[in-house]
Amino acid sequence: MSTSSLPRAPHHDVAPSDETALTSAKPESNDLVLEVKDFSVDYGWGERAVRAVRNVDLDVHRSQVLGIAGESGSGKSTLVYAVTRLLRSPAVITGGDARLFLEADKDIGSDARTLDLLGASERELRSIRWSQVSIVLQSALNALNPVLRISAEFDEVLRTHRRDMNRHQRRARAVELLELVGLNEDRLARFPHELSGGQRQRIMIALALALDPQLVIMDEPTTALDVVTQREIIGELRDLRARFGFAMIFITHDLALLVEIADEIAVMYAGTIVERAPAASLHDAPRHPYTLGLLNSSPPLHGEHRELVGIPGSPPDLAQSLVGCSFRARCPYALERCAREAPPLVGIEDGGRMVACWLHDGSPTNLPEPLRRKASPTARDDLAPRAAKEVRS
Amino acid sequence: MNEEGKSLLEARGLSRHFVVRAGGTIIRKKRIVRAVDDVSLDLRAGRVTAVVGESGSGKSVLARMLARIVAPTSGELVLDGSPVAIKQKRTLAYASKVQLVLQDPFASVNPVHRIRHSLERPLLIHGAAKTDVESLSESVLARVSLDPPSRYLDRYPHELSGGQLQRVSIARALCVKPQVLLADEPISMLDVSVRLGVLNLLRGLCDEERLAVLYITHDIASARYIADEIVVMYAGQVVEQSKGTRLIDEPAHPYTRLLIASVPDPAALTRDQVKGEHAFTGAAVSEGCRFYPRCPHAMEICRTSEPPMSEVGEGHMARCWLHSYTSEVSSGALTVRQRGGTVSKQ
Repeated sequence: MSTSSLPRAPHHDVAPSDETALTSAKPESNDLVLEVKDFSVDYGWGERAVRAVRNVDLDVHRSQVLGIAGESGSGKSTLVYAVTRLLRSPAVITGGDARLFLEADKDIGSDARTLDLLGASERELRSIRWSQVSIVLQSALNALNPVLRISAEFDEVLRTHRRDMNRHQRRARAVELLELVGLNEDRLARFPHELSGGQRQRIMIALALALDPQLVIMDEPTTALDVVTQREIIGELRDLRARFGFAMIFITHDLALLVEIADEIAVMYAGTIVERAPAASLHDAPRHPYTLGLLNSSPPLHGEHRELVGIPGSPPDLAQSLVGCSFRARCPYALERCAREAPPLVGIEDGGRMVACWLHDGSPTNLPEPLRRKASPTARDDLAPRAAKEVRS
Repeated sequence: MNEEGKSLLEARGLSRHFVVRAGGTIIRKKRIVRAVDDVSLDLRAGRVTAVVGESGSGKSVLARMLARIVAPTSGELVLDGSPVAIKQKRTLAYASKVQLVLQDPFASVNPVHRIRHSLERPLLIHGAAKTDVESLSESVLARVSLDPPSRYLDRYPHELSGGQLQRVSIARALCVKPQVLLADEPISMLDVSVRLGVLNLLRGLCDEERLAVLYITHDIASARYIADEIVVMYAGQVVEQSKGTRLIDEPAHPYTRLLIASVPDPAALTRDQVKGEHAFTGAAVSEGCRFYPRCPHAMEICRTSEPPMSEVGEGHMARCWLHSYTSEVSSGALTVRQRGGTVSKQ
């Protein structure tokens, strides 16, 4: 980031109103990094618009890993791309609010501030992109320029955002970043096609960390990799997070993987969040039938061999207007009420659980057995404050 | 219909080596990559054989050799009791018995034609009468549970979801009434929620129609779910194989243990130490065990000579010096072995 854009350039033509205070003196909360409220995104206009994301609330705390799980078309990628203002037409943000709370950054001499992402100008967005919010994409082969050497990718990022660095400093920083992700310096001279899938994804992670961002978004970073490489990369991400304390949004369709890396998980279905809970309790005691179905979709490695069915059917067409609960056609426990009214996302029990399901409206004894299961009080309950623990050790 | 357990397609010592350029500006240096090296497999009627391994282990090349899309460098293929002339071009008769289903249905089903076209082509090529084609296409779609079939015939691939399209690509393979179905990572591109549906379909075809199914995957948990026999490949070689799921319950080879430990399993708290990323395929280690550079139990002998396949239990073989005790084995391996019969977990 160039220091020239901070504080906000005086010639900026739109005076910020009180509502969209672009740069406030103090962050409103010390704990939050990103706050999204009542956020909706459509693809297209009018009657045929696909309502990809509908009224989503989301918050990410400092040093927290928020996992977003859901199948293809559930809107998980659309949500984060829209929030970071990376989506282009025909995607339209139809409502909501997204704020980024930035801490003071002494590297670039900026103060703590709050940025309204939806009201921000291109120039302001440019100043936070990559330096404060970076993204790791699923397909590293497509994200890296095939005709550039790896060193050029690092060089570009550093030259754009750290203008005071000279060539030798940039090179030294690139080597240092590669070391972080366990790659040798000689990789810098390679082209993307000369590297394995795992190495390319490591390069992407190193690039994302180049400017010490406060929030890193991982969009299915391991889906294209095989399980062994996935395991290694997840391990590295955990170490890096513990070391640098950045917050992370981790998007994947693999719930089992999320339980391992995330502190908290939001499950998305057909454009809305249907359940949100701390990772361990979501796994041990799912409260939404869809979460339960997802958890039962991965064959286990241990225990009795039994027939599993996954989730029958397919997600609804989001171009049609949805009445009632979007999951009811695939839900084994659907009630008569589910066809009429869409359930709101409400807090249940305690420990920060939210669920959007009418089953949790009545008395708990009416609940189907699998959704009544208690979270087992095992050692894994300690997983939530994992970040803090790891930093200490 | 075939008798259950009858051998339908057998591979004996199948190998495929690729010659690649390895530097040199004036005099080109060549290097041989042994993508698949001496692999023997027996696909039987009514059985699912799973081949598990990570990218670059040679599992897809193996499937393509069995489908005879890639010609083997050496080895034999025996189809339904009679040897196949592997040096000659694949015949239509072979294709009508052995069919391959690919990983990504969006790439393997022609996007500019309706589903009808994709199903009718193999039928016509294999000599079905034009008048029967429609009803035959509908019946294969019904077999893969796409109901009602008439609704899918006139759709284009982009109108279907990944799970539905993968079913179409299985239906396309079934058009010619094959005896052997080779499925190369059929679920890895699909959503978690529909994966089980495709696995159950493959299992059902195997049980009801006595097909021999080869299921290739990198996810050992799904192999456990569907397979009667599991084969683990590493760098072109079979390193462990067992009947049933014995190999998962009692893994003998360190690589199998690494694969099992890599499966996201929220219930598991401790893990085997994973060591380094694999950086080679086949040719990097010319002698000795191919897993040696990554193995946490590596010994001196592993560096110098290649371990043989040896029996570690009933119908359970592993290619590891820890399990093939001879006088050459160093005392280190012996202690590991004595501790618990099989290699002890770290």
